[in-house]
Amino acid sequence: MTTFSAPRTALAAVALHGVRRTYGAGASAVRAVDDVSVEFPRGTWTAVMGPSGSGKSTLLHCAAGLERVDAGRVLLGDTDLTTASDDQLTQLRRSRIGFVFQSFNLVGSLTAQQNVALPLRLAGSSPSRSEVRAVLAAVGMADRARHRPRELSGGQQQRVAIARAMVTRPEVLFADEPTGALDSGSARTVLALMRSMVEAGQTIVMVTHDPAAAASADATVFLRDGRVVDRLIGATTRDVADRLVALEG
Amino acid sequence: MLRLSWSSFVERWALFVGALVTVCFGVALVQSSLLVLISAATYQLPADLSVLERARYGEGTAIAITLSALTLAFSAFLAVFIVSSTFAFTVAQRRRDLALLRLVGGSRRQLHRLLVGEAVLLGGLGAALGIPVGLVVMRFQSGLLTMLGFAPPGFAAEWRNWILGVSAGVGIGVALAGVLVAASRAARVQPLEALRDTGESARVMTVGRWVIAGVFAAGAIALVVLAPIGGAGGAPPMAINAALCASVAMSAISPVLVPVVSRLLPSGAGVITGLAGANLRDGVRRSAATAAPLIVLVGLVLGQSVALASFASAGELDQRASTVADLVVEADGPVGPRVAAVAGVAAHSTEVEVPVTVTFTYDDDVDVEGGSGLVVDPVAYARFHPGTDAVAGLGGNAVVAGPGRGAGTPGSSGELRIGDTAAGPLHVVAEVPSRTGGGADLLLPGALVPADLLAQAPSRTFVELLPGADPATVAGALAGIGEVSTLDAWASRDAAARNATSISIFLVVMGLGAAYAVIGVINAGVIGAAARRTEFAVLRSTGLTRMQVVRAALVESLAVTGIGLLLGVGAAAGTFVAVAMSTAAMIGIPTITVPWAFVIAVGVGAVAICGVTSVITTVAGTRGNPVSLLAARE
Ligand SMILES: Nc1ncnc2c1ncn2[C@@H]1O[C@H](COP(=O)(O)OP(=O)(O)OP(=O)(O)O)[C@@H](O)[C@H]1O
Ligand SMILES: [Mg+2]
Repeated sequence: MTTFSAPRTALAAVALHGVRRTYGAGASAVRAVDDVSVEFPRGTWTAVMGPSGSGKSTLLHCAAGLERVDAGRVLLGDTDLTTASDDQLTQLRRSRIGFVFQSFNLVGSLTAQQNVALPLRLAGSSPSRSEVRAVLAAVGMADRARHRPRELSGGQQQRVAIARAMVTRPEVLFADEPTGALDSGSARTVLALMRSMVEAGQTIVMVTHDPAAAASADATVFLRDGRVVDRLIGATTRDVADRLVALEG
Repeated sequence: MLRLSWSSFVERWALFVGALVTVCFGVALVQSSLLVLISAATYQLPADLSVLERARYGEGTAIAITLSALTLAFSAFLAVFIVSSTFAFTVAQRRRDLALLRLVGGSRRQLHRLLVGEAVLLGGLGAALGIPVGLVVMRFQSGLLTMLGFAPPGFAAEWRNWILGVSAGVGIGVALAGVLVAASRAARVQPLEALRDTGESARVMTVGRWVIAGVFAAGAIALVVLAPIGGAGGAPPMAINAALCASVAMSAISPVLVPVVSRLLPSGAGVITGLAGANLRDGVRRSAATAAPLIVLVGLVLGQSVALASFASAGELDQRASTVADLVVEADGPVGPRVAAVAGVAAHSTEVEVPVTVTFTYDDDVDVEGGSGLVVDPVAYARFHPGTDAVAGLGGNAVVAGPGRGAGTPGSSGELRIGDTAAGPLHVVAEVPSRTGGGADLLLPGALVPADLLAQAPSRTFVELLPGADPATVAGALAGIGEVSTLDAWASRDAAARNATSISIFLVVMGLGAAYAVIGVINAGVIGAAARRTEFAVLRSTGLTRMQVVRAALVESLAVTGIGLLLGVGAAAGTFVAVAMSTAAMIGIPTITVPWAFVIAVGVGAVAICGVTSVITTVAGTRGNPVSLLAARE
């Protein structure tokens, strides 16, 4: 078995081994993630689904090194996130990890293009205007570069957030309900953007409630009560929806 | 990073204006007190003053120096305290912004640099505003010193160019001191906090706060213990500083105390009150930030006013206890013979007060002491002031150190001047017991003082009546000589006159300090409300009317005010204990006098200021359509 798992690990962009995360203590303790082992292969797009409170966000945060784990290991390529120092994690966020969340998390005081340039500036480089414009153009926001977040619609803000995550060309993009606040048109644009990232060789881990969004991904992992209960590959919207209903029922 | 500093500056100006105002006033106060202090210390009295005027203003200048030094120390303390609490609050309000920077790759060091950079910017800007404001404060302070008679007319503090550097340094210094702890704390924010936008996830009560509370509480206890052995000179400042230390300790642990005390508030009194109570406990940082300047304000004002009033009462009681007489006659000159001639008078002691200057020459040093001399008859004095038998040594050039102890100790010799006139050599041969309320510095025999001077000087004559004599009849007969009072009435008037100076000092120092603390209180209200626009919008979209939101915020603010006042009284309690113990040590009776009218005015004023601030900021913060505000959240 060991000979079998070793090469697979080498392929994974992110791998979780026996990860546990419990909130609170005693009677009120919640096992948000309960002994989860899962691998996200390089250059693939995986959707994470499950009922509300099943631990999807917690799993994502643990995988991204944002949340401490109580037990188990999280590997980003060959880097162990569970033992990384704060400075190492900061370096990873600058170069190898990107985030997109349901609430768009843009800096309100900066324009769209300043928001996109922010990760590069924090990393100490001064991106050229054309470089930033190119990324904004890729998400169809070139003409809104000088607008502040509050002057943009929700879908537009989300596209700026994705541009910000794309600009560092991270190995892995973690997305928590990236289409959750968008209408179906904007959602389709965002999903298409993500597909183009995967085609460029990046890896995406995406939490979603939307079967159509999950169907755009390569694989879907189902969670319930903090455990992985199922996995579908190349499923249609219909397959995913059925499985979800079965899970919640 | 600089661009980010600037843009967050522009975006969050409401937060920064508060910090700026506190720095500006801190710089203004420190600068003005420093200039007044230096001008008073280097002030040359005009050459055409008489010796007597010279002595009087010399004493006044000494008080002016003490007063400006006190104001300087006090404003420096307040500047550091209020600026740090404002900065800490400002930084805490931006925790989520900072977490977001961490999320997109900002390091702890970068966050730290960002906050420190902002502080330097605010400090510099605050100093630039504070310097001209300081000039206005300085005119006011100089005018006040002249008005209170501590400085001769025409005294004006002078501008010095180097103060520019000092004020810039003070501004940036207090801003940096204020932000350093907050910045290193904020730099440790977890990136994940950017995703949690309801409530404050950070622990408010930190190790640093416990350490500050511990150190200052220990200081307060030490002062309370030491005050009773400090004597008449040491006890009052120690007792007052006990309240200062205790209020810093109280505000440091206010995040723990506020929720505890808030449970004492009535619960279940309707949805608005319930909401206010929950907000109070949930927004511990906001509550603590509002309560902190209130605690210091109340602790200091209450501590100082009660200490002054109590020591004054103790002095009066002591004065009263050390004198036995039926009536007191105040007149000019030695009216003894005329008093003795009145029917019903059994005995009298006439004491004439003259201004004295003594030049003591020691081995290698000349010391000039100014004060008040009392010309007395030794036998009569000892009869009316029990315990002063040492006064029997008076005669010729031999004088006795008086209860006020301002000039010379037994064994010293010097040259005496009375007013403008040289009165020859003197020897201090003995001393009478010193008294809490002070009194004459030297007791003099009549022969030392020229008769014409004596005739103009104010005198008081203590009168003992014959058994069976009717006080009213005798008082009527004495009224032709001077103003007649009972011993009690005279003692309280005398004590009030003696305390006029310390009360003026109190008013000046406290007035400036209180104004600054009030700015701190208003600031916390403005900053707190600025950050709550979204929360108010949520409440309104939940179905509360704008009026109801304003009411809930008002109830919350009044509750915090009440808690702040309560904790301030708690801080002042240290002073009460110190005062009781010290006065007991001095006069045998623990004496506490509370100037109720003043205390109540401070309480009502604090409630009014907090209430008005809350209503204005909430009305401003609920302007506009709540739905559009919620939709525009980033
Ligand atoms: N900071 C926290 N403290 C305590 N419990 C938490 C915390 N965060 C999450 N939980 C609990 O952990 C469990 C999993 O939460 P999580 O946010 O991962 O769920 P989710 O699957 O993302 O749900 P949703 O689809 O509603 O976003 C829930 O029961 C939640 O109450
Ligand atoms: Mg979630």
